Amino acid sequence: MPNSVKPGSENGGKARPNKFMRLGQVLGWCSLAFMSGTTLLAFFGLLNFSGQGFDFGFLQDPYLWQIIEFTFIQAIFSAGLSLLFAWPVALALLHKRDSWHKRIFLSFCILCFVMPTLIVITGLVALLGHQGLVGRWMWEGWNLYGLTGILIAHVYLNFPFAVRCIYLQLQAIPASRWKLARQLKLSRWQRFRYLEWPSAQLVSWLATGFILVLCFNSFAVVLALGGGPQATTLEVAIYQALKYDFNIPEALILAWLQLILAGSLYLLVTTLGQLQWLGNLSQERKPLPSSGKFERLLYNLFYGIAWCVMVAPLIALLPKIFSQPLTENFWQAIVTPTMTSLVLAALATTIALGLAYLVLQPYRIARRLGTTTYIWIDGLASHALVIPAMVLSVGIFVFFIRKIDLDIYGMVFVCIINALVSVPFALSQLKGPLLNYDQSYRHLLSTLKLSRWQRFTVEWQFMKPAIRSATAFVAVLTLGDVAIYSIFGHQDFVTLPWLIYSYASTYRMTEAAMAAILLLIICSTVVAFLEYQRRPRSKKVC
Amino acid sequence: MRTTFPSSNQQFRLAKCVFRQVLTLLFFGLTSLGTQAQTLAVYTYDSFVSEWGPGPKLQELFAKRCACEVNFIAAEDGVSILNRLKIEGETTKADVIVGLDNGLMVEAENAGLFQPHTVDTSSLLSKLNWQSNTFVPFDYGYFAFVYNAERVADPADSLQSLLSSNKTLIYQDPRTSTPGQGLLMWMKAVYGKDAGKAWQAMANNTVTVTKGWWEAYSMFLEGAADYVLSYSTSPAYHLVVENKSQFRAAHFNHGHVMQIEIAGISKFSKQQALANKFLQFLISQEAQEVIPVTNWMLPVVDNVALPDAFNRLINPKTIGFTPEQIAEQRKTWIREWRQSATK
Repeated sequence: MPNSVKPGSENGGKARPNKFMRLGQVLGWCSLAFMSGTTLLAFFGLLNFSGQGFDFGFLQDPYLWQIIEFTFIQAIFSAGLSLLFAWPVALALLHKRDSWHKRIFLSFCILCFVMPTLIVITGLVALLGHQGLVGRWMWEGWNLYGLTGILIAHVYLNFPFAVRCIYLQLQAIPASRWKLARQLKLSRWQRFRYLEWPSAQLVSWLATGFILVLCFNSFAVVLALGGGPQATTLEVAIYQALKYDFNIPEALILAWLQLILAGSLYLLVTTLGQLQWLGNLSQERKPLPSSGKFERLLYNLFYGIAWCVMVAPLIALLPKIFSQPLTENFWQAIVTPTMTSLVLAALATTIALGLAYLVLQPYRIARRLGTTTYIWIDGLASHALVIPAMVLSVGIFVFFIRKIDLDIYGMVFVCIINALVSVPFALSQLKGPLLNYDQSYRHLLSTLKLSRWQRFTVEWQFMKPAIRSATAFVAVLTLGDVAIYSIFGHQDFVTLPWLIYSYASTYRMTEAAMAAILLLIICSTVVAFLEYQRRPRSKKVC
Repeated sequence: MRTTFPSSNQQFRLAKCVFRQVLTLLFFGLTSLGTQAQTLAVYTYDSFVSEWGPGPKLQELFAKRCACEVNFIAAEDGVSILNRLKIEGETTKADVIVGLDNGLMVEAENAGLFQPHTVDTSSLLSKLNWQSNTFVPFDYGYFAFVYNAERVADPADSLQSLLSSNKTLIYQDPRTSTPGQGLLMWMKAVYGKDAGKAWQAMANNTVTVTKGWWEAYSMFLEGAADYVLSYSTSPAYHLVVENKSQFRAAHFNHGHVMQIEIAGISKFSKQQALANKFLQFLISQEAQEVIPVTNWMLPVVDNVALPDAFNRLINPKTIGFTPEQIAEQRKTWIREWRQSATK
């Protein structure tokens, strides 16, 4: 919020904080420059490769249009189905009394949404594959691979997110309205029509749009469950053009298309409004109209089914572990990838948070001075949201491919690009609390004549919960990365998700399941930590 | 081509893990040793170097001859090796490349990534009519759809009958995998102009298209499909190692496409002498006796003692294209496949 303080009162003749701020500001602009510079580099890479321009003839290739069509179709279906499943579950949650399992369910929704996709893929193969727990009982001709598998995985990953978004809105319906509904003796349908639907309508569309964008950019799911050219998205096609065909001109065209389509989709969705999904869950009991026996049964049914659906792929991993003995040196083989993933996540998270915090320095000053610069800073710092990670990676890959040995430095890029694409998420977690802090304590602090270090400690104390939850959030995102790794990765530095991919794709399900469970444990720990940190206040994402 | 049949055999599962660790060691070894002489870097595909593949045995045998070390670096499949070479250009670490095939030969040669060899190829089978002085063949076989006789009672006898059946199949992506590329030629040789339509028909039978041979074969053995694109020689593995006779290659009347697997020397290798020695070794009696029972392909020289199982394999007639035709048409065919298989 723009502060009412006049620019003149800002310095107050205090040299030290001023200098400190200036340093912060310079560093902030530097990190902004670094972030934008990397993107520019990527664009430069996307423009051409060793003088080879674009292959515009490719635009007439029916294959290209089929990919685009499929990308849209699977994204629209995934988003639509997610919404369709989310509503009944959200309604059931609303009418269910607060309980430990409900709270776990809501945290579980966060986990499902941020969970590394390869865990889900392995779980789905273990559940619905040909030898799967359920898959072997499926009808003749059942095939997980292709559109079916992609939709199942996308809905699994995204409907919990929609559930949370909708539920947050539903539970925010004021008690007075419920009372009124009771007095007016509204029927179940009328309550939905006049109360529940209007309150969560906007958020439903927003969530659908957001899921659409996510599925549009989906990589690992399509790569692993796509099953050939009939089920390829732009993102996977870019990867294939680059890594299968070594057809850089084609990869560049695909990357531009992906950028234009995904970028405008994202902008379209975000102009519609902001989504709140990590928000606080009130424990207050609303005077909901008492529901009939049948209605209660339905709620329990929806709730029960949702639990089963969400748990099933993860449970399916367990029997796989015991189905066959692990190879003797499995544990040895898994140590390095685990360490690689952890180190990578730690580094990328540190870089992302560092960049985000530095960028916030000029930002908070701009906010304080009431200039419009902050809009620019915000836009520049969050620009990575519009650019799919795959496009950024391809651009940088093409730019550097003949300049440096990517076998050796590839992992550095995996780390940096992961950090860059996470900065907007870190920003969204840190921005609010930091502005809050400035508003509440800046005046007090400026009168206290604290040393630089003391100021820092005070700020740190205040910001700690926000920083921790940002850390957790970014860490989970980075831990699950496949897209960036697929471009720069190297066989000597396999990450845990990639290891799972290579196990799962060669049907070594025992190993895949074990590695997936390990990654799941790591991520759940981080999400539990995030939930724990998040308790005191609400935050926004995206 | 491939060895390590991903069967129920537990031990071969070890292979990839071992192989990964070997690679890690190797990577550090390479970077620290640099181009120190007597370490030959060989690019190949993954199943070649697995514990049960020809890699380790050849490594051992060759080491005795030269007092040197062979380091295998693996890609998923043949076409990936060539892609990798193209990407790396002159920065490549490879001295020798093992595992390209006749389908890639001319394209690889035209890319200017190889240098001529000095290997004496007079001992090669006359049937191969080997002319190239850039590449040396080390085994050959025929692409074939392998099925499980317990699941498929009346196997297809042509591509047409396969496509018109309601049986499911798995094949490999022709952009990464040499069997996938083999199927590309096979379809073209059988269907000609109508290949596009045939691909569309095949899409109805296809469970999935994998990146490499290993993935596809593993899935097939897990029961994910009725047929898998592999080799006429694959059943020999199941007969010899597992004593199982239900895995068979479908014999197609119109003929099969032959694959000749080849090896060559990187243009950027500084160890020509050692590299040539390795190629010569690959077609020696000693190495040729190892390859059929580890890579499960046919030897390229005469008088190699083979297990009886090899006599029970199908002996199809050969159809296909010359390496020149393939090099010229490969891109177009891939485009045709891409367009048709998406529908």
